[in-house]
Amino acid sequence: MSVSPGIEHEERFRRVYRAHFDALLAYALRRVEQPPDAADVVAETFLVAWRRAGEMPGDDETRLWLYGVARRVLANHHRGGVRRARLGDRLRQRLTPAVAGDPGAEVPERLAVRAALARLGPVDREVLTLTVWEGLQPREAAIVLGVSPETVRTRLSRARARMRDLLGHDRRAAGHVLDVLTASTPEEA
Amino acid sequence: MSDEQLDRLVRDADPYRRDTTDHLDGAEHALLEEIMSEPVRKTPRWRGLATAVAAAAAVTGVLVASAVIRDRPESRQAAPVVTQQAPAPGDFAAAARAAAEKNPRLLIDQPGWKVVHVYGFAEKSGTIAFEGSRGRSLEMNWYPAGEYDGYYKDRLDVSPPVATAVDGWKGARFTYSQSDFAIMLEPRDGVFAELRTGGPWTLAGFGEVVAAIKRVDVDTWLKALPPEIVTPGEESEAARKVLADVPLPPGFDVAKLQGFGANDPYQFGAAVTGRVTCAWVAELRRAKQAGDATAQQKATDALRGSHHWKTLNDMNAEGDYPEAVWEYADRAVAGNPPSEEELKQGLGCD
Repeated sequence: MSVSPGIEHEERFRRVYRAHFDALLAYALRRVEQPPDAADVVAETFLVAWRRAGEMPGDDETRLWLYGVARRVLANHHRGGVRRARLGDRLRQRLTPAVAGDPGAEVPERLAVRAALARLGPVDREVLTLTVWEGLQPREAAIVLGVSPETVRTRLSRARARMRDLLGHDRRAAGHVLDVLTASTPEEA
Repeated sequence: MSDEQLDRLVRDADPYRRDTTDHLDGAEHALLEEIMSEPVRKTPRWRGLATAVAAAAAVTGVLVASAVIRDRPESRQAAPVVTQQAPAPGDFAAAARAAAEKNPRLLIDQPGWKVVHVYGFAEKSGTIAFEGSRGRSLEMNWYPAGEYDGYYKDRLDVSPPVATAVDGWKGARFTYSQSDFAIMLEPRDGVFAELRTGGPWTLAGFGEVVAAIKRVDVDTWLKALPPEIVTPGEESEAARKVLADVPLPPGFDVAKLQGFGANDPYQFGAAVTGRVTCAWVAELRRAKQAGDATAQQKATDALRGSHHWKTLNDMNAEGDYPEAVWEYADRAVAGNPPSEEELKQGLGCD
C-alpha cells in the first residue's frame, strides 16, 4: 500500500534532511563501533522520517524527534536487527575507518573516558552524551528520551558522579582506568 | 572535579570528527535521492516515543547490573509517605531486616512528598527517590562507609562544605548551583548517605524540607513505603506472581528468591527474572556438554520464551533490564552464550 508524496512533502523532507544530516551522522558515528555502520543508522532514520513525516514535529523539535528515531534504530542495530540497508551504500563506503579516524591514534585519556562512559547505564550514558556531545539542554534531552526534564537532570547528576568515581577522582579503587589516566604519555611529555 | 571539568573531559573524548562531512564526496546527496525514491507506505503507527525509547535497550556494549536495573524513568505515581499509623510489623526476612537496620531510613515527614523509586536495603548501598510538588525531587543514595573519604574529597571540588545536620545526623551541604544542593551525611552504622536535589529548589526551600526529614525505625520505614513496594515479608508471594508464566530450570530453588530487601516491582522483577534466566543459560550449557538433546531443547524454548514473560514485558515500559535479559537469552540460544562475568555484570547473577 503506497501513496504518492506531494511536492510539499518532498520539499519539507529535503529541508529537514539538509538541516539535520550532519547532526544525525555525528549522532550515529558516536554510537556505533564501526563507522560504516553509521550509514545504516542514518539511512534507516531518515527513511523512517520520509515515511512518517506526518508525525515529525516542526521547528526546533525536528532534530530531537530524529534523535529519538535514531536511538530506536541503533537499539535494533545493536541487537543485529538492522539489515545491511539497500540504501546508503555510497555513504557507507565513505565512512571507512581511515576517513572517520584511527582509534589506534587516540590518546589514553580519551580511551579512559570512553571506557568509563561504557560502564554507565545506557540511559545515564545517553543523558550525558546528549548533553555534552549533542549539546542538548535537559528539556531537549527529555524529549529525545521520552522522560521528564527532571529525570534528565537527576540522571545527569548521577552520571557525572559515577563518571567521577570511575575516573578515579575520589580515590576509590579505579583499576586500570585510573592507571591509564595517571600514566605518563608522549602527548603529556 | 567540577561538572564543567568533567564535561570537558567527555567533550574531548567525543569520537566524532568535525571534518567527516568534508570527505563524503556527495554521498549524502545520493542517500537523499535514494530515500526519496522509496514509496511512502502507510504503516502501523509508530509506538509512542517514550515507549520506543524505553525499549531501546542495551545501546552500547557493557551492561552494569545496578545501573541497568536502576535505569528507568522515575515517573510512576506512588502512595504518599505516611510515617504514622503503621500496622503491626510483619515477619520480615531476618537477613533483610538486619541489613535495613543499618540503612539510613530517612523519610520526608511533610505532606506532598511521595516515594517514587526504591532500590536496595539488603546491602550497604541503595537509593530512595522522593517527588514533591512544583517539580521538585529529592534522591537519597547510601554507600559503604569506606567510600566516604573519596566521595567527600570529590565533593570539595563542587563547593565549600557547609556544616549541617539531618535529624541530628551530622553532614555537610554542597552547592552545585543556586537551585541544586546536596548533603553528605557522615558514616554511621557502616554507611554514609548523600541527599541530592532535583528540579527547581531554593536554599530556603531545601532547608525546610531537610528539617522535615526524620530517621525512623525499620518497621516504620517499611510501612511507609508505597503498597507496590515488595518488602521482605512479601517476597515469596511476589515471586510466585512473577513466576506464573515462567518455566523453571530443573533443580531451581524458588525458596532462594528472597532476601532482596525492599524493592519496587521493577527491581524485584529484575532480581527474580535475572536469576531464572541465568539458571536457564547454565542449564543450556550443561545440556549441550552432556549431549542431552531433550534438555537442550527445553532450555532453548525457555530462553526464547523469555520474550513473552509477562513481568519482563511489564517492566519493558519502564526501563532497560528486560532488554538485557533478552539479549543474553538470544545470544545463548544462538550459540554465543554470555560469559559468567557478563551475566554477573548484566543481570546481577551470582
